Amino acid sequence: MICFVAVAIALLSACSGRPTSLPATFTEVADSACIYPDYRDVTIPPNIAPLNFMVVDDAADAFVADLGGLVCGAGSDGKMDIDTAAWRSLLTAQRGKDIEVRVYARRGQGWVRHPAFRLSVAEEPIDSFLSYRLIEPGYELYRQLGLYQRNLTNFTQTTIYENNRSYDNDENHCVNCHNYQNYDTERMLFHVRAAHGGTVVTNGREAHKIAIKHDSILAAGVYPSWHPTQPLVAFSTNKTGQVFHLLYPEKIEVLDTESDLILYDAERNQVSNILRSTDALETFPCWTPDGTRLYYCSAKMPELEGENTEALITSRFDSLLYDIYSMPFDLATRTFGEPRLEVDASSQGMSCSVPRISPDGHYLLYTYGRYGQFHIWHKSADLWVKPLSNDLAPYPLTAANSPDADSYHSWSSNGRWIVFSSRRDDGNFTRPYIAYFDRQGQARRAFLLPQRDPEYNQLLLKSFNVPELTRSAVRVTIEELNHVVRHTEAQVAAYK
Amino acid sequence: MVSCAFFLLSWAWSSWWMGDVLRIAYERSYFAADATLMYWLWQQPFGSLWIVGRALLTLYHWPLLGGLLVAVLLACGSWLVGYCLRLPRRWRWAQYLPACCWMIWTAWSGLDLYYMHEPGRIIGVPFLVFVVCAADAFVIWTFKRRRRHAPAPVSPAPRKEERGARSFSFTLLLLPLFILLLFLAPCLLLQHRHPFLRPLTRMQVQLMEQDYAGMVETGHKNAHLSYRPLAAYYAIGLVRTGHLTDQLFDIRLEYDTVYAHSYGGDPEQALNYNLVDCDFQSGLVRPAMRRAMEELTMDGPSLFTLKHLARMALIEGDWEVARKYFHIIRKAPFEGAFLEKYEPMLHRADLVEADPEFASVMQTAPLTNAFENQFAQPCFLGYFAVAESGRSIQTLYYSLMANLYSKRMPDFLARCQVLVGSTPPRTIAEGLATQAPKNDFILQAFPQLKMDVQRYVGFLKVAAPYMKERERGGRELFDEYHGYFPYYYFFGNIRATVKSGEKHLETSKSGVN
Repeated sequence: MICFVAVAIALLSACSGRPTSLPATFTEVADSACIYPDYRDVTIPPNIAPLNFMVVDDAADAFVADLGGLVCGAGSDGKMDIDTAAWRSLLTAQRGKDIEVRVYARRGQGWVRHPAFRLSVAEEPIDSFLSYRLIEPGYELYRQLGLYQRNLTNFTQTTIYENNRSYDNDENHCVNCHNYQNYDTERMLFHVRAAHGGTVVTNGREAHKIAIKHDSILAAGVYPSWHPTQPLVAFSTNKTGQVFHLLYPEKIEVLDTESDLILYDAERNQVSNILRSTDALETFPCWTPDGTRLYYCSAKMPELEGENTEALITSRFDSLLYDIYSMPFDLATRTFGEPRLEVDASSQGMSCSVPRISPDGHYLLYTYGRYGQFHIWHKSADLWVKPLSNDLAPYPLTAANSPDADSYHSWSSNGRWIVFSSRRDDGNFTRPYIAYFDRQGQARRAFLLPQRDPEYNQLLLKSFNVPELTRSAVRVTIEELNHVVRHTEAQVAAYK
Repeated sequence: MVSCAFFLLSWAWSSWWMGDVLRIAYERSYFAADATLMYWLWQQPFGSLWIVGRALLTLYHWPLLGGLLVAVLLACGSWLVGYCLRLPRRWRWAQYLPACCWMIWTAWSGLDLYYMHEPGRIIGVPFLVFVVCAADAFVIWTFKRRRRHAPAPVSPAPRKEERGARSFSFTLLLLPLFILLLFLAPCLLLQHRHPFLRPLTRMQVQLMEQDYAGMVETGHKNAHLSYRPLAAYYAIGLVRTGHLTDQLFDIRLEYDTVYAHSYGGDPEQALNYNLVDCDFQSGLVRPAMRRAMEELTMDGPSLFTLKHLARMALIEGDWEVARKYFHIIRKAPFEGAFLEKYEPMLHRADLVEADPEFASVMQTAPLTNAFENQFAQPCFLGYFAVAESGRSIQTLYYSLMANLYSKRMPDFLARCQVLVGSTPPRTIAEGLATQAPKNDFILQAFPQLKMDVQRYVGFLKVAAPYMKERERGGRELFDEYHGYFPYYYFFGNIRATVKSGEKHLETSKSGVN
């Protein structure tokens, strides 16, 4: 009852005093409006959902925003709920142009107007769907988590798969590493860990569960990359652990004590080794858009004297430096050629991770940090780009980066947008940020994925993991995935 | 009269007897009138009912008020049960049975009321009964009004004098029974099944109120009880009052079985119950953060974890995430005092350092980096047992006491070398005395320990008959020797020692989400 009363009071207070027109008289102030999310001077896709935002000003009791003629009001909570139809018309009209946004606040002495900021509307749209995992940034335990899909043109979020809503010992499982083939949802996969373990592979509306395990391979597949045209998946296979700092700028280290690369044939349910080495740690494979090369990260295995490899690697956590390599792939023979060093970070005393090739094949996007490969827990991690079509040196995407961790990233299918995970909001909870990537190979200032309630990200106690853009919605139903995960046995892949 | 007695007794039960327990249940809960924050609970089976239960539980911010609400729910609910069932007067006592069942259930559940279980059930269930009965009563009342002019009942009503006499004798007969049922039975059940729960939650409330001397006093009052969480909060009280090195072994440290259950319903010894507090209070902020985050993952947000995470973020200088936690705490009602105290510390490292509790915590923070996984768990014992450096003498004392507690005497002796030339605190002196007969160097380095050694030799003579029956010795010698380290060394914490010796603490897992 109290709950309902409180909700009613909250609604009433939110609705009351919400102005609907621009003030006739006001005073100009020099300070910029404090808004959350910070959408000032960002470039946005012409098909993005309304950028609802919240003005934070304790001295004001009402707000109005003028978004290029679209007027939106807010009560004392400062929450601007932009009309979707009007927003869509605005973006259509302003495609390729700028929208000037002016924010007015009603303070004790009357209305004030803050300096204007700009929203640049790009010509190129972003892929309509973004999928991600929502999970608390807990470290070892999990309870309720799932893979979700957001329609970027509106605020609809649908569930791809959820583990469990209430706890059950026998049912508890984790899902991770969802991946799609070439921005399409016809073929996708994700892993299931603990109860009902395996890898779920879909083909259109059908799905099945496989298990990749064999004496000849190190372990099950971990980080995947679908070949752009063939039913092939390159996986890294990792023996991973995590350790917790007692006193260090970073809180966690996720370390591989062994890792290799394997190739999985989804049509024949066969697996084979790509690279099986004891002197190097290979991880994060990624195909080029034409499927003729495979990029991956590799670090030299430190020379260890002693029996406990895990403890020794842990003690040298900050000396594990990964470079990016690539190997040619012959589709006819399904063989790989000699590795070629693409980004030499280790010689600079730095480390690279998560290589991603732009759809036009001209750019290699990756994260660059002080050490290691699990950069999402490293404040030093930034997005960098290496042009592949010329010999220009790699450079950081300065406008898109932040002082905190900017890591797991993916391209849109037209190569004009990148989406990535960032801890810039609070240093702890990752949020998906979107940045425009222009034809000169520079990224613009990134903006937070808009939500209907702009306060959403401040209240959400989960992280957005592995944001992946796709052109269409996932086709397989949640019921089918539930059936496959919970009621079918994994088919063990044969080793070839 | 019976209803009145029932109301008063249930108020006493829910605010006095169970007041601290339900206050801590409130802290382990979280309610806000916000869909984003409550969505995780709303989507669970009976989620909306649990949300209402949590909303009502917020009144336990003031246990007297929370208890009043519960008493009103129980008393009115009982009256409504009687009204709806149209119980004959002689069966009227039965209307109180649902309320009795609730009290007995709370007493039976103990820690399961809120630890690893949904706290919204506590008041959610009686609230549901109340609402159902109220709705039923409303229907009956409406129906009765419509039949107001219906013919009179066949059986004539008893005369007024008869009714009065019956009611009087009925009340006289029933009242003592009610007192037994409504109050004594659940009280005794709670004391029998969870004797540690009231002192434990009292100490937790005292910790929140920073009444550290009160925590020690509560520990001493319940020295005969021996449960791990109780010992942990007693130790925190000692740490904060500076008496760790002379009073740690004043209470029984044998650890009886805790009746609790984990998320899946398996028996659970509540080993992790106190870890966030213990890690934090001993200066291990990072492990405490990790634990709190794991609790957030498993239990959803609670005031307990959010407040800890906010305070720890302040110490770590993670201002923005601290702001986030404050923002979420602000959405919960009645938490103004907490925000008033801690929110001004945002971006003010000087204020954080000036806070006496934080300053004390930071005094024993690690001096050099290491990985939590390298130490035996729980970390506040494992870390200090092997700690070799520290920011203050307190770290050395924690280390010595961790080794004494774990009976790791070689490590204890190695660390005592720093104390040569000084007068060691009482318990440390007693620890040294136990090793003196085997190590001549001890008396050379600490000549002032001769009396301690003599006492120890005397104790050994007294203890000799019990050496083969240590559990019996532990019981029989407790009154005379509790607080004396050699007693603990031979007769304390035997079950843990016997089970797995010094390695009784697990190392943590290392899965990656």
